[in-house]
This record gives sequence, C-alpha cells and structure tokens, in this order.
Amino acid sequence: MQAAQHFRPSFFGTTRFLAFMAVVVCGLAGCATRPPADDPDAVADYNQTNDPLEPTNRVFYAINNGLDTVILRPAALAYRYVVPDPVRTGIHNVLANIGLPIQLTNDALEGKPRRAGDTTMRFLINTTAGVLGIFDVATKWGYPDHDADFGMTLALWGVPEGPFLFLPVLGPSDPRDAAGFGVDIAFDPFTWIGTGPNKPAWSAFKWSRFGLNAIDSRERVLDAVDSIKKTALDPYATFRSLYRQHRHAQIETLRNDNRATVPVWFPQPATTPAK
Amino acid sequence: MIHRRPLITLAAASAMVPLSVHAQTTEKASAFVKSTGDRLVAVVNGPGSAPTKRAAMTKILDADVDVDGIGKFCLGRFWRLATSEQQKQYLTLFHEVLVTNITSKLGEYQGVTFTMGRSKPQDDQAVVSTTVVRPNNPPTAVDWIIANPSSDPKIIDVVAEGTSLRLTQRQDYASYLAHNNNNVDALIAAMKNQIAQSG
Repeated sequence: MQAAQHFRPSFFGTTRFLAFMAVVVCGLAGCATRPPADDPDAVADYNQTNDPLEPTNRVFYAINNGLDTVILRPAALAYRYVVPDPVRTGIHNVLANIGLPIQLTNDALEGKPRRAGDTTMRFLINTTAGVLGIFDVATKWGYPDHDADFGMTLALWGVPEGPFLFLPVLGPSDPRDAAGFGVDIAFDPFTWIGTGPNKPAWSAFKWSRFGLNAIDSRERVLDAVDSIKKTALDPYATFRSLYRQHRHAQIETLRNDNRATVPVWFPQPATTPAK
Repeated sequence: MIHRRPLITLAAASAMVPLSVHAQTTEKASAFVKSTGDRLVAVVNGPGSAPTKRAAMTKILDADVDVDGIGKFCLGRFWRLATSEQQKQYLTLFHEVLVTNITSKLGEYQGVTFTMGRSKPQDDQAVVSTTVVRPNNPPTAVDWIIANPSSDPKIIDVVAEGTSLRLTQRQDYASYLAHNNNNVDALIAAMKNQIAQSG
C-alpha cells in the first residue's frame, strides 16, 4: 500500500491541475459562450477562431494595451527619436547575435542541418568580422537569417498549437508557443552563467539586454501597430489573426526548407535559393 | 509497334500543353503585377497633393483589384444574411475604407521599391511573389494572388510575410459582428464612422 501511495499523482502534477486552472480562469473572467448547435455557420466560426478563453484574453489584452500606451510605446518613440537609425540597427544586430545559440539549438532539434550551418556561420562571421555582432556581414556573404524557436520546433514535431492565448506582458501566444518561450530561456547560455563573484555585473547585463530587446522589438513595429489600431474595427481580433497567420507562415517556411547537404566529392545539384 | 510511336507523341504532346499553358498564365500574371506595381510605386513616390494621389490610387484599385470580390469575401457568411440594400451599402463603404486605409499609409511608403520573384499557378489562380523594400526597413516578402490570370487578371489578395490581407480583414469583421449581435447594420455604421474620422 505504501507503493500505491507513492504513485498517486500529486495535485499539481496532473491533468487535474489543468482542469483546476481552467475552472479558475473561466471563473475569474468567463469563457466564450459556444454558439447553439443549430447554427452550423456560427459553430464553424467559433471552432475556427479557436479562442475559448476569449473574455479572459481580452482582459489581458486591455491590461497589456494600457501598459503599452503608458510605458513601452513612449519608450520606443523616445528611442527612435534619440538614437539614430544606423545605431539602432547595430543594437538590433548585437541582440540578434546574442540570441543565435538558442536558434542553433532549435535548428539542430528541428533536424535542419543547413539552417544550423547558416546559424553557426552567422555567429562566427558576425562576432568577428561584424565586430561583436554590430554589423550583419554574414547576410552579405550568403548566410541569411531565419526564424527558429522552440515553439516552431514543437510544431515541426507535430505538437498542435492549441487555443489562442493572450498572455500578460508577453502578448499573443498559444500553449505551444508559451511552452516554447520557457524552453528557449533554458536553451539560452546566459541563463546559466553569472552566479559567481561577478553576479551584479551579469545581472546588469541581463536586465539591459531584456530592456533593450523589449524597446527594440517595439520600435520595429511602431508604425504597423499604430496603423492596425487605427484601421481595425476589433484590434484584438486582428492581432489574433495576424499572430496566427504569421506563425503558420514561419512554420511552413521551416517545413519546406529541405536544402540538402551534398558532400563536395559528389555531383552538386542545381543550387536553389533558400526560401 | 507502328501505332506506339504516335501514341507516345500524343501522350508527350498532351503532357506539354498544360505545362506551356501554365507557363503562359504565370508569365501573364507576372507582367500584370509588374505593371500594377510600377504604377502604384509611381503614385507613392511621385509628386502631387494628397487628393490627387488618392484619386490616382482609386483609379488603379478600380482597374486592377477585384474590390467587390474581396469585399464579399471579407463579409464571409454574413454576405448571405445581409439584405440586398445592406450588401450595396457595404460594398460602397468597403471601397472607400480600402482607399482610405491605403492612402493613409502613403507617407510610410515614401521611397518604396520592389523586385519581382517567382510566380506559380495555384488552382485557377496565380501567385506572384515580390520583395518590397522600404528605406530603413527590412525587405518584406509580398505575394499577390491573381484571379483569372490569363483572361481578365485581377488582384484578389495581398499576402505580406505570410499574412493575408483579406483573411485578416474578414476575421476583424467577423469578430466585430459577433460582438454586435451579428448585425450587419452595426458594421455598416462602424465603417461610416471610420471614414468620417479619417476624412
């Protein structure tokens, strides 16, 4: 009987936890009401939208939107106003270069050797010839950038995306991408260093990187987000649609990137541009 | 043995026909996108006041874009539910909203250029890929979906970095309608309001 006790799943380790969370979340803000079954078009719409937590998501959207209006957007505007464009590009390139180890891990897990090769060459070239990543020399030398994160890796492995989520601070997501986000943090070498005597310096570095990343990403979409908020009748639904379509396109591009690596002593196939 | 050769020739010929038809279709679609794109870029980068540019843009849209078809698509299942009066009102407003949205972005697109990519047939349509470059922006992959590419080519969708313009618009409208008792009049009122605010 002792053994049986041992194997009893703990409350927070099982599907019961998920069920509990679903009840809590729905209880707090309510779930989207499923349309009546005698309206098949409405049911089809509801299933296609795949956003059962919509009321909760909209609450987080409103909170994020408020935070964005008073903090992130003004910061991004100030950043654009103060920092000249070439410097912003340099900062963006450095941040992207620091993120390449995560990308490389995902390229490998996706089983895409050519992508992993591109990422490795990008890191080596841009860190040296590109002066610590400030200049993107690698793209000019024939090693273009691509997207890779653990959410995409999971998709390639056949994990379904699940319902739409709008997360506090992080924004549009789904269970697959949210899990991917956490795993990517674990893949980041910087997560695991900086505990010794230099801890304060490392902490400063990590927080600057985090802050710059947020402002850089926001600055790059300033015009696009402004124009969506101006032209969309329901900006939340528009962002939901755009996020999903963009993710699907990224995953499709990843799936179709089947460039082969032919050893030099074999006849080379006609080169096809990376797509 | 005697009959086999013509048979093979026939088979080869019949296999060739759809191929060359496809090639022609995609070539025509490419030429169409190139011509439309050139005219759009000329308007965006050209001189002229906002109203003249708006008029020129309207002319190009009316000639090369199936605005009514896109409008119907964007209303989705509500198109059938709408009365013919609502349909008429909606399409007129849809034209205006489209022109307004595009002209409001003209400033952002100053100095825009584009390069042609591949084009391929898709069902009875053609997909023409282009790369759009704006100063100080990373290049954007833009696909143009062309209906009736060989007879009467019309743009029916623009897909930027994998996001379809008409699908996004349709989901925006669908959500708005779902939160307004599926009432098409509410959508029409919102569109009127949108035009009034921008004008």
